[in-house]
This record gives sequence, C-alpha cells and structure tokens, in this order.
Amino acid sequence: MGHTGAVWCVDADWDTKHVLTGSADNSCRLWDCETGKQLALLKTNSAVRTCGFDFGGNIIMFSTDKQMGYQCFVSFFDLRDPSQIDSNEPYMKIPCNDTKITSAVWGPLGECIIAGHESGELNQYSAKSGEVLVNVKEHSRQINDIQLSRDMTMFVTASKDNTAKLFDSTTLEHQKTFRTERPVNSAALSPNYDHVVLGGGQEAMDVTTTSTRIGKFEARFFHLAVEEEFGRVKGHFGPINSVAFHPDGKSYSSGGEDGYVRIHYFDPQYFEFEFEA
Amino acid sequence: MAGPPARGGLGESEARRGGSGGPMQDAENVAAPEAAEERAEPGPQQPAAEPPGEEPARPEGPGAPEAADGENEEAEAGPGPEAPAEPAVDGEEAAAGATPGPSPPPPEEPPAAAEAEDEAPGEQAPAEQAGAEQARDAAAEARSDGDGAGGEQGGPSEDAVVAENGDADEPSFSDPEDFVDDVSEEELLGDVLKDRPQEADGIDSVIVVDSVPQVGPDRLDKLRNVIHKIFSKFGKITNDFYPEEEGKTKGYIFLEYASPAHALDAVKNADGYKLDKQHTFRVNLFTDFDKYMTISDEWDIPEKQPFKDLGNLRYWLEEPECRDQYSVIFESGDRTSIFWNDVKDPVSIEERARWTETYVRWSPKGTYLATFHQRGIALWGGEKFKQIQRFSHQGVQLIDFSPCERYLVTFSPLMDTQDDPQAIIIWDILTGQKKRGFHCESSAHWPIFKWSHDGKFFARMTLDTLSIYETPSMGLLDKKSLKISGIKDFSWSPGGNIIAFWVPEDKDIPARVTLMQLPSRQEIRVRNLFNVVDCKLHWQKNGDYLCVKVDRTPKGTQGVVTNFEIFRMREKQVPVDVVEMKEPIIAFAWEPNGSKFAVLHGEAPRISVSFYHVKSNGKIELIKMFDKQQANTIFWSPQGQFVVLAGLRSMNGALAFVDTSDCTVMNIAEHYMASDVEWDPTGRYVVTSVSWWSHKVDNAYWLWTFQGRLLQKNNKDRFCQLLWRPRPPTLLSQDQIKQIRKDLKKYSKIFEQKDRLSQSKASKELVERRRTMMEDFRKYRKMAQELYMEQKNERLELRGGVDTDELDSNVDDWEEETIEFFVTEEIIPLGSQE
Repeated sequence: MGHTGAVWCVDADWDTKHVLTGSADNSCRLWDCETGKQLALLKTNSAVRTCGFDFGGNIIMFSTDKQMGYQCFVSFFDLRDPSQIDSNEPYMKIPCNDTKITSAVWGPLGECIIAGHESGELNQYSAKSGEVLVNVKEHSRQINDIQLSRDMTMFVTASKDNTAKLFDSTTLEHQKTFRTERPVNSAALSPNYDHVVLGGGQEAMDVTTTSTRIGKFEARFFHLAVEEEFGRVKGHFGPINSVAFHPDGKSYSSGGEDGYVRIHYFDPQYFEFEFEA
Repeated sequence: MAGPPARGGLGESEARRGGSGGPMQDAENVAAPEAAEERAEPGPQQPAAEPPGEEPARPEGPGAPEAADGENEEAEAGPGPEAPAEPAVDGEEAAAGATPGPSPPPPEEPPAAAEAEDEAPGEQAPAEQAGAEQARDAAAEARSDGDGAGGEQGGPSEDAVVAENGDADEPSFSDPEDFVDDVSEEELLGDVLKDRPQEADGIDSVIVVDSVPQVGPDRLDKLRNVIHKIFSKFGKITNDFYPEEEGKTKGYIFLEYASPAHALDAVKNADGYKLDKQHTFRVNLFTDFDKYMTISDEWDIPEKQPFKDLGNLRYWLEEPECRDQYSVIFESGDRTSIFWNDVKDPVSIEERARWTETYVRWSPKGTYLATFHQRGIALWGGEKFKQIQRFSHQGVQLIDFSPCERYLVTFSPLMDTQDDPQAIIIWDILTGQKKRGFHCESSAHWPIFKWSHDGKFFARMTLDTLSIYETPSMGLLDKKSLKISGIKDFSWSPGGNIIAFWVPEDKDIPARVTLMQLPSRQEIRVRNLFNVVDCKLHWQKNGDYLCVKVDRTPKGTQGVVTNFEIFRMREKQVPVDVVEMKEPIIAFAWEPNGSKFAVLHGEAPRISVSFYHVKSNGKIELIKMFDKQQANTIFWSPQGQFVVLAGLRSMNGALAFVDTSDCTVMNIAEHYMASDVEWDPTGRYVVTSVSWWSHKVDNAYWLWTFQGRLLQKNNKDRFCQLLWRPRPPTLLSQDQIKQIRKDLKKYSKIFEQKDRLSQSKASKELVERRRTMMEDFRKYRKMAQELYMEQKNERLELRGGVDTDELDSNVDDWEEETIEFFVTEEIIPLGSQE
C-alpha cells in the first residue's frame, strides 16, 4: 500500500483533512489525513511532479513530467464530483508542449495556477478555461520552487540561474531579485517579516568534485525590499533542497541532499535587525 | 624578351604591393579595349602561348589578377570606389556577350569574340564546328519548309537565307558562293554556347618558371623529369612547354596545373627554389604578366595618405582622480570589458561581445589593447577604443610588444613554409607593415625574441648561436650571429644594452655566466661556476642587480644546493656576492625599485619566506624569515616595499600582505582557489582572481588595498582574465619625486579629506537607495493588501465561512479549548511519568 516510487510532491488542504501526494510511480493519490487511508488513486502516464489543493480545498491540480514519450500535462479534478475520480477523467487537462512544468502552486482564490517551467518561464493558467492568462520570463534557467506569501498576494521563485525572485501573484509582475553564486533550489517568505530565505548549493552532480566549502550549502537570508543579504546559516553538507518558515515566523527548517532536516530557531538579534535606511 | 626578366626580378610580396599600389594601371587595362591588344603582345612573343591552348587576348584579363589578389584587401580599399567597379562591370558585360541576354551585346564585342573563336585552337574547335553544323542543319530545316516566310527562328536574316535558297531548283546543301552567314551563333544556339569552354579557362592554372637550366635535346628528358618531380608536388601537371632556341631550351618554361589552386600553391612554395648553385627558380603565375608588364618604369610618387587623427592615445593618464583602467574577459571569453578601477565600484568604459577570440594583451606602456583573431591581431586605443591597426597573421597565437611600443612580434604555427618564413612576423605598429618574417620550430619558450630595454635590439637563441638583430633594419647586428657553443639561456638587462647568458659545463671547462655589452660585444664580466645543474637569470627591474640562481651538486654532498650569485651592475667590474641555500627553492623575486629580494624555500608544508637586502657595501643581509607560509608565488608591488605572498591554485588561494620596510605581516587573507594576482601599475591596489581557465566555479575578481583590506568582490560569470592597463614611465625627475615624498603629509591631508567626503557620500547614497527601495516596496505591499482585503468575502465563502487570514484569526472561537489542550498535553503526561 502506498507509492512505489519517489514521492515528488505533497500538499494538504486548508483544514488538513486531506493530503495529496504525487510520485514517480506514475500516480497521484488522495489520503485521509487523520487515518492515512487512501481515498483515491489517479494513474498517470508519467511521474507526477507537482500537486496542490485550491484555496477552498475542492479542486486538486497536478502536473506530470514530459517523459517516456508523454507530454507534460496539468490535470484538474473537482473532488465534489466523484465520477471524475472514479473514471480518472479530469474536468480539464492542459498540455504544456514547449517546456515542462517543474513547480506549480495555486493562485489566490483558486482561480488560477502559477507554474514555473524548465525554461525559466512562468505561466498563469486559468483553472476554469485552461488558457494562459499571463506569461513572463524573468529567469534564464529552470524554476525549482515556487512558494506563496502567507496572504498569497506574492510569491518567490527559486531558480537554477542562481537567483530567487519575488513576483506579484495576480499580475506576475517581477518585484525583486536575490542573487547568489549557486543554484537556488528553494526559497520561502517569512510570514511576519520582510525576509526571504534561500536554500541551494552546488548541484548534486558536481558535489563529488568539490568540497562542502565550495558547495556553499548555506541557507541565506535576504531583506525583501532592499534585496540585500543579512544572514547565513551553515550546517548542511549537501545542497539544500527545500526551506520553509514556521507559520509563526520564529523558526525555519531546511532539508538537504545530505539526508538531514535542520530546524533552526532565530536568535533575538534576528527580530531586532534592521537595515540603516 | 621583355617578359621574363621583368617578372623574375619581383618577389611575391612586391608583386602584391604592385597590385595595391597601382590601381590606376589596372583600371586602364580594363577601360580601354586597345589595352587588351597591347597585353596580347607578350603572348605572340611567347611561343608558349600556342601549346597550352591559351590565348593571351582575353577580355577577362584584368579580372584574373584581381582575383589572385583577393587576399590583399588594401587593393580593393585603396583606389576609391570607381576603379575596381569598372573591371567588374566589364567582366560582366563580356560574359553577357557570350550569353543570349535580352540586351544586344555592345557593338565591338561580337567581332572580337568571333576573332577569338577563329583563333582558338585545340579543344574548342570541335565544339565550334559542332555549333556551325547545327546552324547549318537549322538552316536546312528552314529551307525544307519551303518558302516559309516565318521560320521558327524568325528574324530578318533568316528570311533572307530562305528566300535566297528558295530559288534553287535542286536541293543543294552547299552555300552559294556569295553567301554570307550573318546569323551570329549567339542567336542560334546561345544556350549551348554559353557553356562552351572559354579560352581563359585554365589560364589561371598556368605558371611560368624562370632560371631553368638551358639544355639541348639530349638532356631535355632529364630536365623534364626533374621539373616534373619538383612541381607535381603541388598538383597534377596537365601540360608543359619548354621553348627552344637554336637547339637549346630558353631557360624558362610553362606548366599548366589541373586547377588554379595548384598553380598558386606552386608559386607560393617553389618560388626561390634552389635547383643548384646557378639556378634558383623564380615562379610566377602566367596571369601576372599583365600586372608586371604594366608597371611603369617611372617611379610614381606615392600618394600622401591622409593623416588619421586617433585623438589622444594617452588620455587615460589625464584622469583627474588618477584612476587606473583594467580589462576583464568573462563569459568564457565571449565578452570583454574595460573598467575604471574605483574604490566603490568598477566603472564600465566599454563592453563588447566577441572582442577577442582568445585573450587580450596591453602594450607595455598601455597605449594599445591587442585582441586575437583567427586572421590576425587588432590594436585598439583612444577614448572610444577604436581600431588603430590590424596585422594579418593567420592562426596567430602569441604576441610580444617591443618595450618602446614600436614593433609587434606575432607567432602563428600555421603559416610557415620553407622559403617564406612566416611563423614569426615582426611588424611596425605605426604603419602596420610587415618588417620581417622568421622561421620558428617551437613556441615553447615564448617570447622567442627578447627585446633590449630601449627596443633597439632583439635577440634569439638557437643551438650554439645567439643572433642579435637591430632595428629598424631588422638585420643581424654586424651581419653575423654570435657562436656560443652550448648556450642555455640569455636575458637582456632592463637597464642597459647588456646581455647576460650562461653556458653549462663541458668536460673540463666550467660553466660560465657572461655579461656582454652591446653593440660592442665586449664581455664586461665572466663568472665561472662548478658542478652546475641549472641556472636562472633574474634581473632587478632597473637593471641595478642581476641574480643568477645556480643549482649545484657540490662534490662530496648529496642533493642540490642553490647559490644566489648577486651581480652588482652599477659598480666597477661588477662585483659578485653569493647567498647559499640548502633547501629547495620555490620562488625568487627582486623588489622592482630597490635592493631587496624575496625567496620562498622549503618543502610543503614547511615553506618559509626570506627577505634579503643587498647593502651598498655589497653585503647581503637577511632581514627577516617567516616560516610556515602557505605560498608558492611572490608578487612585489610595482613600487617596491610591499609584497603579496600567494598560495595559488593547489594552495587554496592563501594570501599574505607583507610590508618589507619593517617586515610586518599586514594581513593574512584568502581568496579561495585564486589563480592569479595582479598589482595595479601604481601599487595602490591588488586584484586576486579565480579564472574560469583554471577553475570552473566561483569565477570572480577581488580588489584589495596594498595593505590587504578587501574592497570589492566582483563576481563575473565565467570570468577569465583581468589585466591592468600599464602606465608609461613617469616623466618626473628623481628630484621631483623626492620633493613629492617630502611633501607627502601635505598631500595626504587633501586626499584624506577627499576620501572622507566620498565615503560619506557613498554611505549616504546607499542609505538613500535603500530608503527608496523600502518606500517603493511599502507602496506595493499596501496596494496588494488592499486587494487582499477586498477579497475577504470571497475567501470566507470558499472556506465555508472560516476566517483563516491570520494565524490566530479564530482565537475568539476556540481560544479556551486550544489552551487547555496544550496545557494538558504538555503537563499531565509529564506528571504521570513522574
């Protein structure tokens, strides 16, 4: 019981009743959060890369990899209509022929999804019609991660082009850029400060040839408004794959290629720090 | 025989110049049809013209030398737009004459063409006969149609023919006696004719060889054999001709190759071929006849070239802040930038994509920036970095400037041939002209030619030989090289025309270091050395001292001992003192403007650095030794006193900044994996860098003060190389410099004031920038939040009326429950366990 391949993505709905998982075993599954019971199994043709519940928790979305001759698709199921699940027939399936989706989240109010592509492009797809509402290209390489701010009005992207960028969720207007010297795998916005944390490092492929020192597996903190770095946390000895703030903003955690999840509580100075301006 | 001697006297390069210098003549040839006839004259004089089936009277004539001249771009650029345009037009017209173009050929053309056809012997004849036959057949057909007034071919002439023949009673296929065939062949079968061979076809494949032995019929076969052997190297010889006179060959021959490329190849490579003592071949293209024939015997005064105002090439020295420039290559070589060095941030002056194909070099006084291209070298300069000069040298890899910036030496492994030395070319920078070419087997010890400090001489070492050349003639000094058997290395003094060289031991003769004055070739000092393994020559930058680092294996000891033989050049008879070291030597470097030197010695990880001082009485004093150093290279400030000891590459980029006046380490730092260290020309700043050429990640250059305070980290994608723009030597006299040193306090006050001002300005700017960024961001957030508030109801609706906007939005609803839950969860289990 359960997935038989790597799990690429997990999402819970807003009231934590259901959990959605996507895996390289070519399936997306819906679970009861409390009992762990599998509620639905949606078979796909290729690995499921991203998945998510909409704002109300009624519609699920997942995207599949361009793989084994299959296209990249985003599928939408309305959980209120059991026939869709039973027949494995999404109410909408958007093909992405040009460049596959590497990360995606629901936009505010569940009207659209925001997808980051292998090419560095960002697309906003309507969850109703499937059409592309906005397209921007601010990154030059793959977008590894997209995370929304707590109020969902803006989001931060992490890209292989060594930068993380801040965008407006509605317009996809580019707001800020945070530069590093390494690919950024994940970026998260603080729920209560104008801070962003970036995690990444030398790509796993190249790590064998370089020391941890050169890999720069550090979590780096930037101020959102001035785009300047004000802190760094060392500790991982492999690239950081994901970062997240605690909902109260008093701690953050990072998961690394080294197999560790590190949970860090902020020092008092963190809360007092301010740029001279 | 006007032809051969005139040609024979001209080398290829001159021929080219002739081409570029005499556009007028070319133009004349083309413009006047009579000229074509004149050109034809050498043909009949040349019995050669018959057998190869080539007729010199060819309308395209002038086009051919042009084509052969293709490489020479000046030829096209020089004479103004009209002159070269004309030949092209004429050529086209001639071609049009042969093809059935809608426009009738110019009146003069058809007779000329017809004449040519009549005369054309050999292969063309059958084709033309066939053509004539077809014409007759066509005429016959027309006749067999009876008196058909409208023959398909139409045209009045046709009608005339038909009408005439129509009167004949019996079919007679012979033309009446007064028949005049006035139908031109172009009209009848232009489509076939346009493909017929042109008499000029293949003329480009013919070469003329002069200075061939004159032989009688008995030895002609042998000569043919020899010639064939030599010349078939360049391609298949399809035809040859040996003109004879009174039973002997005339001493020049004609050879035809299968293709013009072979002919060119033969001209390039066989010209100047030495058959024997009396006979050195002169090889030319047959098509070059015209060119040489039309060279006037009168010398034309060359046209005055307009003066190209390049502006002030040293403008950068007038910068009020005395900032320096540097060049940066990044994006793995795709982009090159020039910056002003500034304490705050580098200020970009110029950035270009694909400015160079490999790397760049500054000239020694900083006037020019040299870029490398497959086809040669380009020099840039002036305020806008405009192109100043080009030097065409295919496949150029290495260059070297003379210290005076008058000459440029380029090396290419591609161009060399036995008879035309082109591996190394010395150019005049101002005129762009090639001064001399040299052979070169290996570029391993670049620069091959070492320049004297004033650029008056340059020297090169080959086996047992030291060749010294002088400028501007580029000829050997006193017309002969120096025989120095066993010479291993040599080096010019940077302070005078003195050459130091050394010769290893040879049986009982000791190894020897010699100092020789030039151009007198007087040996001013010879020092014998024993048990020598190797020597290295190190000049102090002013030429005040020479250090010969001698690795020795003294008798009765094991291992290598190193002696530093210090020659005091400024003293009478050049006294020598010795410092001996038993440890392996990693690096040695003189203080550029002073009498100190630094030595890195020992074996990793026990590396030490020692600083020595050569006192005025000749005593060499150890000032200080630091042990446990992480260093493999010594970088003295160009002004002396300060030194950076760097552990580059494998030593991770460790840096030590040392002040040698009191031998204190000012700072220890690190630029991880640094591959290069570059002092600015004034000794105020140092740049350390990680080049993409040696390391693929973290490519960046960092700017430090001479004291080792880090000022900037400049990350550049795939950064490759940073080079400071050199400054010419100061114009101030020693006294003036002394005076400035004396008044340093006065100046420093002004500078400090300036620095404070710019610093406070910088921090003010930074704060200001942050403030606006914050303000803008605040505005954006306000807008976003307003929208967010507007959507509150929609959110509530979507989540069934539950407000999830804040982490504690629902505090009112289930506050107590939650708190109790937490309290019980955390306290009760603990209590129960106890």
